[in-house]
Amino acid sequence: MSNALWLAVLASALGTYLIRVLPLLWMRRRLRRLDGNDNVDAMPQWLGILGPLMIAALFGVSLVPRDPSATTWLATAIGIAITLLVWYRKRSLGWPVAAGVAAYGVIIVLVGM
Amino acid sequence: MTTRPHALSTSPWLAGMREAIPLLGGYIPVAISFGLIAIQAGFTAWEATLISVLVYAGASQFLFIGMVATGSPLWLVVAMTLLINVRHLVYAPNLAPWLTASRHWPWLMHGLTDQIFALAHSRLPQLPEHQRLGWYTGAALLAWASWIAGTVLGAVAGDWLMTQWPLLGEVMPFALPALFLVLVVPRFTSRRWTLALSLTIAMAMACTLAGLTNLGIPLSALCGALCFYLVKFDTRPTGGSHE
Repeated sequence: MSNALWLAVLASALGTYLIRVLPLLWMRRRLRRLDGNDNVDAMPQWLGILGPLMIAALFGVSLVPRDPSATTWLATAIGIAITLLVWYRKRSLGWPVAAGVAAYGVIIVLVGM
Repeated sequence: MTTRPHALSTSPWLAGMREAIPLLGGYIPVAISFGLIAIQAGFTAWEATLISVLVYAGASQFLFIGMVATGSPLWLVVAMTLLINVRHLVYAPNLAPWLTASRHWPWLMHGLTDQIFALAHSRLPQLPEHQRLGWYTGAALLAWASWIAGTVLGAVAGDWLMTQWPLLGEVMPFALPALFLVLVVPRFTSRRWTLALSLTIAMAMACTLAGLTNLGIPLSALCGALCFYLVKFDTRPTGGSHE
């Protein structure tokens, strides 16, 4: 890899890190300045709303199969239903995900046979 | 969702790692693909691995090697890489109220990917203060290590892996939507939130189907926020920590 290409890698790495860390430093300074007892209330309301919505957006994006077809959409629907069902019963993180992946895999295998 | 701290019965590091395990189903297959594609684009295994160590941002890494392979100007490659990652700007401030005074936090932000953010945003408020740093470090380090290991594996043996276990690469990435679902479901606490979240999910899916995956994440979240501000119901909410 040429020196110029290495510089591009380093610039991308540094830029990505700064995108992740600078808002933290800004927010910490804001929290210190407000010096409130309740840190959550010190967060701008729009930021507090964007957090859960970003997770919802990540969910929506990841929900679309990489190779959309009737099979993958069916497997996705059943996988999501099973994940939801197991989450409702267990209220945990690992089991619903494992059950969802297993259900997704079973549908892919069964329909593909 | 509840914000009452609940102490972990095990070491916070181990608990963080254990709770990050579902992420591996999404990380490892994608990292293997990255390693494989990087080799095909003319990078060595070392170079591909170093990109994963240093940049550590899935979609932008694919874009980086793709643009380099097609001979794009390097300033444009860097600009596009950073543009894709701009959505990360809102992640750390959302976690800040739950971070302790430790000086290690800024360094740990290197590991603040989409998935770690989603996980930490749900879990940190539930943990007592003294366990948060350990929990986050364990979760973020496992995810980072899996991304690097997957890249090495893909660069060294990607071809062989893809022909031996094609089904694994097809099924395991479903862990990501399943995980995000588990993280987002507890947020449906009122009609107002339900509408905003549903709109965001639908918009994100539409953007992805239109080929605008990376733009779709911030765009649909902004539409959801707009909906949240504009649509107000008369009925009292059933709960929730953000309303």
